[in-house]
Amino acid sequence: MSTPAHLTPADFAPAVMERHVHAISRPSLSYWQDAVRRLRANWRAMTSLGVVIGLCIFAVAGPWIWQVDPAAQDVDQISQGPSLPATALIVEPGTAWAGVTKEPTASGDVVANLRLAEPATTQTVRLTWEPVVGATGYVVYRSIYDPAPDRALGLPLGDSLGANRVSYEDRLDLKPQRYWYSVVVLDANGAEQQAYETFSVDVVRAASIEEAQARGWTTQDAALTVGTQLTLPFHPLGTDYLGRDMLARLIYGARVSLFIGVVAPILFVLIGIVYGSIAGFVGGRLDQVLMRFAEFVIALPFLLFMILFKIAFGIGPGESGVIPMLVALVILDWPPTARLVRGQILQIRQEGYVSASQLLGAKTGYLVFRHMIPNTLGVILVTLTFAVPSAIFTEAFLSFIGMGVAPPTPSWGSMANDGIRTMLSHPHELIFPAVLISIAVLAFNLLGDGLRDALDVRMRGRE
Amino acid sequence: MTASAANPVAPVLDVKDLHVEFDTYGGIVKAVRGVSFDVHAGKTLAIVGESGCGKSVTVQSIMGLIPMPPGRITRGTAMLDGVDIVQQKIVNGRDIRGNRVGMIFQDPMSALNPTMRVGDQIAETLQVHRGYSKRQAFDRAVEVLTLANIPEADKRARQYPFAFSGGMLQRAMIAIAIACEPAVLIADEPTTALDVTIQAQILDLLKDLQRRNGMAIVLITHDLGVVARMADDVSVMYAGEIVETGSVDDVFYRAAHPYTLGLKAAMPSSTTPKDQGLRPIEGTPPDLFAPPDGCGYFARCPHAMRVCGPSHPPNVEVDPRHNALCWLHHPDAPRTVSELHRRVQA
Amino acid sequence: MLAYTFKRLIQGVITVWFIATATFFAMHAVPGDPLANERATTEAIRKNLEARYGLDRPVTEQYVLFLGNMMRGDFGISFTQENRRVNDIIRESFPVSATLGILAVAFAAFGGVVWGALTAIYRNRLPDLVITFLVILGISVPGFVVAALGQLALVDINAWLGFSLLPIAGWGSIRHMIVPSMVLGLGTMAYLTRLMRSSMLEITNSDFIRTARAKGLPPTRIFLKHQLRNAILPVITVLGPSIAAITTGGFVVELVFAIPGLGRSFVQSVQQLDYTVIMGTTVFYGAFLVFMVIVVDLLYGLIDPRVRLE
Repeated sequence: MSTPAHLTPADFAPAVMERHVHAISRPSLSYWQDAVRRLRANWRAMTSLGVVIGLCIFAVAGPWIWQVDPAAQDVDQISQGPSLPATALIVEPGTAWAGVTKEPTASGDVVANLRLAEPATTQTVRLTWEPVVGATGYVVYRSIYDPAPDRALGLPLGDSLGANRVSYEDRLDLKPQRYWYSVVVLDANGAEQQAYETFSVDVVRAASIEEAQARGWTTQDAALTVGTQLTLPFHPLGTDYLGRDMLARLIYGARVSLFIGVVAPILFVLIGIVYGSIAGFVGGRLDQVLMRFAEFVIALPFLLFMILFKIAFGIGPGESGVIPMLVALVILDWPPTARLVRGQILQIRQEGYVSASQLLGAKTGYLVFRHMIPNTLGVILVTLTFAVPSAIFTEAFLSFIGMGVAPPTPSWGSMANDGIRTMLSHPHELIFPAVLISIAVLAFNLLGDGLRDALDVRMRGRE
Repeated sequence: MTASAANPVAPVLDVKDLHVEFDTYGGIVKAVRGVSFDVHAGKTLAIVGESGCGKSVTVQSIMGLIPMPPGRITRGTAMLDGVDIVQQKIVNGRDIRGNRVGMIFQDPMSALNPTMRVGDQIAETLQVHRGYSKRQAFDRAVEVLTLANIPEADKRARQYPFAFSGGMLQRAMIAIAIACEPAVLIADEPTTALDVTIQAQILDLLKDLQRRNGMAIVLITHDLGVVARMADDVSVMYAGEIVETGSVDDVFYRAAHPYTLGLKAAMPSSTTPKDQGLRPIEGTPPDLFAPPDGCGYFARCPHAMRVCGPSHPPNVEVDPRHNALCWLHHPDAPRTVSELHRRVQA
Repeated sequence: MLAYTFKRLIQGVITVWFIATATFFAMHAVPGDPLANERATTEAIRKNLEARYGLDRPVTEQYVLFLGNMMRGDFGISFTQENRRVNDIIRESFPVSATLGILAVAFAAFGGVVWGALTAIYRNRLPDLVITFLVILGISVPGFVVAALGQLALVDINAWLGFSLLPIAGWGSIRHMIVPSMVLGLGTMAYLTRLMRSSMLEITNSDFIRTARAKGLPPTRIFLKHQLRNAILPVITVLGPSIAAITTGGFVVELVFAIPGLGRSFVQSVQQLDYTVIMGTTVFYGAFLVFMVIVVDLLYGLIDPRVRLE
């Protein structure tokens, strides 16, 4: 404590008061200012808000930036994983191949010098090797894995009979990837030898000029010459099981999922507010009847009735089924908000500050706008935020059991449903929509948490 | 046995220079700033002060009941029978809380566990501190409830708190606090939430129990009427400090601090003329985020001097065992305390 | 208490009537021909079938007939499954769904209380942060993805072990039930964990816990006797709605794990537009949920002494 060593009589003169007794050193904040301040201090909620805005931009602006038709099928790239742009080599149209014949000079149980006769393309892979004395033929295998060490040679493509027939042409569903070809010698009895020769081939995507034009990789009039590298349609997030671009479908799916997820809650919360306010304000018998009806609607098994309403509304040919789902959601989901609003109104009407306001002569309109709405708005905002993820979930769930939007309209739920079928071989078709659903739900949930904490009066002034 | 028994002059509870702080979003609140007090066996010390001055924080920090973090005791000792229960943190040990020191709280409605029978809540302390069996403890709980003036105690002990009225609940709380016959009973605004008639009953009960057990009572209150009725000694607390301490008579009739005078002036009494209104103390207590260097009461004090703003006032013993934290008692100060009294009465 | 139970039951019956009515009229609004799947090749066969399902009568008469049959507990005959009564379908598939649901609720409630209590004890420390993160994940990942991932994980575990630890689909033994019920209960468990956590934290700051500490009780005793018991109460109040969430979530799990439950038969009947099975299952489910909510409310009264008196 600061006790000065020397005090003079002047120190004991009456103090000249600057009358700032009521000055408060911290700034005073209104309810909403304080709420915004606490929301901004909550990094989870702010990150979520950023994610929500990002998703909305993704859905709204996506189609302008990524101008790919979500329904167009790319049959050359079906169930392709995320990849860089693919290219294709323009080659001569395919011709028949006579093969290679060569008399054997060396003996042994395995062929030597297994090699390509021509560059390998998706059109054809032509193999040749050195003949073996005493062989009755050769078997050619193809695998997408290295056969060593446990002699998993893969698919037996065919035999070439006779020791001198030392070539094989593979045209079987070739993909632009690496294959391992193995050749096994057949001995005098026609039995396969244990030993084998193997080598790997990187197959290049190729097409003739006519094929390239037919597949729409290039326009009819563009001048093409053999040997050109042509850039193919690019699918940064890969394609689905019908060869449709995942990114484009995710963008259009976001439009559907977020539309249902955001518009349905807004609608049923509005209906709930009107219904609940009427019940709360009018009170009496009408309130009883209205609330009993709301309880009945709450008692309906939600998802079963979503499905019933969906089939009752029906989906005509060419319709997406988004509107029936929206309507069904609104019909079934309004009562909780109505109950909440009614409860809030009844509670606020009992508060001392409303009575005080009434005593001072406030009219109903003033009461509503000055007390009811500001005090209910926070709760409604929180309800709305939490209703979004549950609506997104409902859409996804219905689409999953085949009761959602009609194909080919994409939604995240229907994409995930499609993806589950190819989950083992092509996990990206499930992972992308599932991750987007999870991110959207997570963001709205955390934002709701943040809003609830920020608007909770009891939390005022706390961290 | 205990130090107090060996030396009757030594206090049962002796708190010295206690400092408590809280971390909040706005900064560190220095809620208690160097509080000292003591209380003797069979005596009652009242700590008075307005809301937010740090009364409850003081006793709750001694009992280890403030949440830590955000709260922390930065300095000070609290000797219970010669053993420091703050710095050694033995307050968490079973022997102190509920056993050597009992405590009752302001709002009896929420202070009892709603899903547990009242008798069990009393029996619990006896099981823990005395090692009684469940049966023994419950029987003793019924006895203690009877001591706390609860009629039909054996039936009441089997009921849940929601079946009790507010006054009954506070009696049950007192029964819990005194079940182990503590040396010190801390009563944190025990009557604030109750009707006036019930208040008197509860205070009489506390006095009665004190006569029987010889326990020391630390009574936290903002009601000077309660102080006059109950206390032997009074400590007046303001802005986290004890500004005046002394016997009831000292503080009531020979107040040595302007704040005490202000409190008294604000209290209605039978001698207050009918047409004279109450005299509130103008202004609000200082912000404890940044407590002033000098006197906390400076901004509200009608007798403030220049020295009061920048310099912390000295603790002056105006009479034996009667101290005040005020520059007015400095020899150079132009006014004396007797002058203050005249001014108040004028 | 008895009068209260009776009142709740009466309310329940009225609610079930409302559900039945809504179901009936929703199904009658379905466009298209109810007999489209039948072999109504000739006019005579068609007449015969219409008479069999009561479709030749006016809607009001059908409604009265439907309600009458419902009251006797008769849901009629399946449109698509030859000569099978809807009651038989429910009788066969409901016990499967119920077993799955009970296991899932038990798993969710137990897990929710334990994890929620742990997060509250270790508030803002590592276990709290880890569990809270997992809970957020559990709430945010759709149920069918969890189910698919659960099955995938099982495939991998079985492959890694080299023998079938647990079957990846089907129904029959306890071993079939473990993974589906865990998958089914996961979302609800996450929700209950959150609820339990906030309930625990609220009670940590309550006056009666301060009293218990002032009494000098050891921390474990405060935790078990005072904190936990009071914190569980709000968890119990939401168990009723949770059962509803879990039974409908059962649809997905039954589909993914090929479990012959009521949810799967409902989805099948919807896909085949089997009118009687859809209506029967919906009304039965609705009645079941209404009943469960009443049971949970009554149970709550037994646990919370404050409710018991009213």
